[in-house]
Amino acid sequence: MESTERLVRTWMALGRDEEVVETVSEISQGGVSLVDIVKALGEYLTSEDDELRRKGVEFLSKVLAQCPVGKLNRQSARVLTAFYCGKLDDIETIIPALKGLVILVRLPSFTSLDATTVIQSLFCHVKMKALVQSVRFTVYTIVDTLMAHHRDALLALGKDFINGYINLAEGEKDPRNLVVAFAIARVILIEFDISEHVESMFNIIFCYFPITFRPPPNDPYGISTDDLRLALRGCLNANPAFGPLAIPVFLEKLTAGSRTTKRDTLQALASCLPVYGSALARSTARKLWNAFKLEIFQPTDAETEVEALKTTQVLVNTIYAEQENSLESDEDIQGLARDACEECIQILREPEKSQAKPATRILCAFITTTPSVSRYTLSQAVPHLVKLFLNPDEILSRPAILVLLSDFIVAARDSFTRGSVMDNSEPLLLPYKDEVLGVFLVGLKNSSSRIQALEGLSGLIGTPRLLSDEEVGFVVHNINEVMAEDDSADASDSILDLLSSISAISPRRVEEQTLPLLFSSLPDTSPPRDAAVERAKYFRVLSALNKLCAQPELFETLVVRLTTKLDLICVPTLEENLEVDLEPAAAYAHALLKTITSTLFTKVHQGHPDVAKYVDRLLPRVYNLFIYSALAHNPKAIIATDPRLVKVAGELITLVTQSLPQQKQESYVACVFDAFLNGNIKAVSEGHQKVPINAKLCPFENSAPTSQKNLVNLFAAAVIPLHKEVKLPVPELGQFLDMMLNWSLVHSENELQRESIWHLIASIVNKRVDDIADFLNDKLNVFWSIEIANAERSTEARRFAISAWIWMTKALLVRSHASASAFTDKLFECFGDANITWDVAKAIGEVASGDSVLTKYNHAVIRILYAQKYVNAVLPRIVTGAKNASNEKEQTASLVALTALIKSIPKAAYAYEMSSLIPLLIRGLDLPDNNIRSNVIDTFLTTAEGDSPDKSLVAEHASTLVHSMVKNCVVVEMPSTRVRIAALRYLGILPRIVRYDILHPYKSTVLRELSKVLDDPKRSVRKEAVDARTAWFKYNG
Amino acid sequence: MAGEIFNPNPIVFSPTKVSGRNSDLLAQSLWINDSDESEDEAEGIDAIDQDEIFDLIRSIYDPEHPNTLEELRVVSAPQVSVGNNHVTVEFTPTVPHCGMSTLIGLSIRVRLLRSLPNRFKVDIYVKPGSHQSEHAVNKQLNDKERVAAALENPVLLDTVEQCLVNAGLRGQAPPV
Repeated sequence: MESTERLVRTWMALGRDEEVVETVSEISQGGVSLVDIVKALGEYLTSEDDELRRKGVEFLSKVLAQCPVGKLNRQSARVLTAFYCGKLDDIETIIPALKGLVILVRLPSFTSLDATTVIQSLFCHVKMKALVQSVRFTVYTIVDTLMAHHRDALLALGKDFINGYINLAEGEKDPRNLVVAFAIARVILIEFDISEHVESMFNIIFCYFPITFRPPPNDPYGISTDDLRLALRGCLNANPAFGPLAIPVFLEKLTAGSRTTKRDTLQALASCLPVYGSALARSTARKLWNAFKLEIFQPTDAETEVEALKTTQVLVNTIYAEQENSLESDEDIQGLARDACEECIQILREPEKSQAKPATRILCAFITTTPSVSRYTLSQAVPHLVKLFLNPDEILSRPAILVLLSDFIVAARDSFTRGSVMDNSEPLLLPYKDEVLGVFLVGLKNSSSRIQALEGLSGLIGTPRLLSDEEVGFVVHNINEVMAEDDSADASDSILDLLSSISAISPRRVEEQTLPLLFSSLPDTSPPRDAAVERAKYFRVLSALNKLCAQPELFETLVVRLTTKLDLICVPTLEENLEVDLEPAAAYAHALLKTITSTLFTKVHQGHPDVAKYVDRLLPRVYNLFIYSALAHNPKAIIATDPRLVKVAGELITLVTQSLPQQKQESYVACVFDAFLNGNIKAVSEGHQKVPINAKLCPFENSAPTSQKNLVNLFAAAVIPLHKEVKLPVPELGQFLDMMLNWSLVHSENELQRESIWHLIASIVNKRVDDIADFLNDKLNVFWSIEIANAERSTEARRFAISAWIWMTKALLVRSHASASAFTDKLFECFGDANITWDVAKAIGEVASGDSVLTKYNHAVIRILYAQKYVNAVLPRIVTGAKNASNEKEQTASLVALTALIKSIPKAAYAYEMSSLIPLLIRGLDLPDNNIRSNVIDTFLTTAEGDSPDKSLVAEHASTLVHSMVKNCVVVEMPSTRVRIAALRYLGILPRIVRYDILHPYKSTVLRELSKVLDDPKRSVRKEAVDARTAWFKYNG
Repeated sequence: MAGEIFNPNPIVFSPTKVSGRNSDLLAQSLWINDSDESEDEAEGIDAIDQDEIFDLIRSIYDPEHPNTLEELRVVSAPQVSVGNNHVTVEFTPTVPHCGMSTLIGLSIRVRLLRSLPNRFKVDIYVKPGSHQSEHAVNKQLNDKERVAAALENPVLLDTVEQCLVNAGLRGQAPPV
């Protein structure tokens, strides 16, 4: 007790926290009780000195705040409550007393009786207007806590509580307090009997509507406008008694308010109307509708319009939901829905006018309300539009009518699929099906209304249980007729969309009716070079087939038809078909093959199981055709020797092979090896073309003609997608790879051949790295110094060797193999070699770039985040090199390496370093290489996403960037279109990501320079120049 | 917009064709899926043509409605003609008493002023017989000083900027 008094005295003198802590620890140990402290404080609490009284109560509250809960029994809680309540009427002690109370009311030992005492003293003594925000906040918190734990006690007070609270809360302005106050008010409105206080409650709540508060910048309290808005809305819609008072307020705000107010009001109404009840909704329907109508027909913005439509739906639902069962027939609909419907139909008499759109939107909104209203609406609107369509005077408005009608079909479909589709009910549209279908089919036939009709048809097709299978067939029949017409090109995308949604429901219809038509419209010979229209037509047919034929049955037909056609084109049987200009034929064959390949690609990515079987059905024919063409020495059959065709055939072979299981791959690849290394082609090639007996396939022989050597692509294509467990039929893998590598560097003749072999090597190195340690060691120790770091070799040979090196490195890198870094280190060693410095520098980046060979589809071994690991390893080295001005050659090489690296890795891998990279990249813009420049600008463009004026990475370099971009977009200084376009794009983005005060000095320069670019010879550049210039014109602080 | 609305319920036309030009079909490559990059780097000059100028102005908004000039058929490709350093644009007000005609013309003028090289002389006319004070409107639109003076007026300039806000869409649908 003595020590307590000493502590109290010290506190009163010094006001330090130590004494509080010490007192609390004494209480915890059970030495003293809180009541003892009150006694020890005795003289101070009754002192005449204001300051002493305040400090006395403050000490108690501070101790209480840290006191363990168990030390406060019921008795002490009661004594302390009484004590604090007694201190509320003293202006000096009220603040610490409230602080004490806020702790007390949370205690389990605090009783309902205490709650009554507290609330009554609060109402009696606390004058909110005299208190600052934080203290008022304490008061609200106390009331809120009492509401949560002792609601019964408050309920028992009845009217007194409500009166008291109204006085307390009236005039509150601080958003932090309001959030709590609204929560309290919502409980009162829902749980208390407010029948005698409706108006006063209404006044203290609706005075805040609408919320116009906007948080200050860097808001320290974290209260958003939406927090307040939602808390307030919880009060607005808490009690139906507000209804008659509230509607006029809402209407006034809706007509007079700003955009946000309008939106807020509409949302509030949507949440309140169902609570306020149908009687009120009915009696105020007219006024509300007039206000909503204005927002829909003359919308301030699209968002407000959407809100107005939603609120209209709520209104209709509120009015009609409860009488739903009592309605005898839909014709009995009276009141708002009927009037509004008639009003809108009136407007729809002129379907081509701009007001028809909003009128339709309203009616469509009605369709998603109560069942009887939606049936009524459809019964008014659909027959009206159908009649209008059939009226000969309205022929010019037909497209407009179909647009509106489609909107109804889509709305009815969505309403049906969302709501009643489960319960076996009929689609809403069923009664009008025949006439509507008829109208759309008529519209389909006319090119001016075709796209609109297709929209409607796809709405009909998409409605479950609406059209019968025969009717679907009839639709397909009509579409086919349209497709055959020449002017259907504009609508072809919509046609295909519709057909593919039909083939999902009824594939048979498409297969039997549409496909034969498409196949028969493919010409048997290629159109000549100048027949652009015919060519566009077969492009269109093929892209249609590609889109429609992914399903297994349809794909089978596709393969049979197109391979037959392919044979016919590549090896013409008739003499007169031998054309002088073979390129159009090759292009046509290429398109046919590409169609099969890209459909296969879709199938592989959708995981279709039927892909694997085409190893027996499709691949032998492909090999047959290409091997025959390369070997036959038949002048008629040289079309399929075109490298571009070979490449697509390779893609096709890879796609099929990658879908095979491991065993099947192993036996298949054995046949492929036998064919390409030993010339035994029987097992892989089978088809219409008879390969001459005396001709032997030997692409790897030095003397082989180019056409044979090109076929190595078809060899590599089968090896690239092998599983890593598959054994290759070669005696020694390393030796085989050496032979391939040597062939690619010494005997190959073109890019296709070289790359095919490098892909093959990369794929094997990646999957079988453990079996070829000697091969890799030899490359690091011998190959590098002889083939690359050897100034006596020709630069061209060294470049090829570097490319091969890149592919081997990639193979190791994607699996994060330990030896990958040894391979990349070698590249750095040659930075100083003038002849190949740029090549090795670029290689640093290229090894990290993605490709289509080392992918998971091709069963490559890939570790996650390999690119990130690589960047972490090489980036610091490159940056140091790029900053080191002492060695100019290496500095430039490092810059080149940096630009190449950044181009090939994902943004996330370097984003964290961006601020230090930007100065280097800017220097990269001065390198005399257009590819590098456009890569750098592309990097800046990527970085600009997510950049904002507040924290722009490039702001400090704005001046340099602007000047560099201006220089790079003028045709006389920059011949590359790609660089000019990139520079203009970036120039157009700068105003968005850099603060006005930094960038505006350049405005006039940029506008002047860009006015020259407006006359660029390239249309695509001019377009970007216009956009960039517009962005700068708009740039006004 | 305060004040009278001249045509509260104009006819809205469906767009005729997406942006693109007839010459593209003929320029198409023999080979399917050919990358357009090679074409971009190709030599040769694309002259500024009717379609390009129509693309510049088709997505200008009507001052009275949330519709573009193309949708209301105020402008169309055939109403644009390009000569040697000379462009003529004709436009059709939706109603003959339309008080917004000058504003529409001004928006077209500002857009072309900003987007065409200054070697071009641009003439903008109301379609003959489509407006009751045709002569006055034409005179106003083609008088350099009056156009410059109009653009000095910040309120007017702001209205013009509003009309031009999505002009860069060139007939494409606005982003959702």
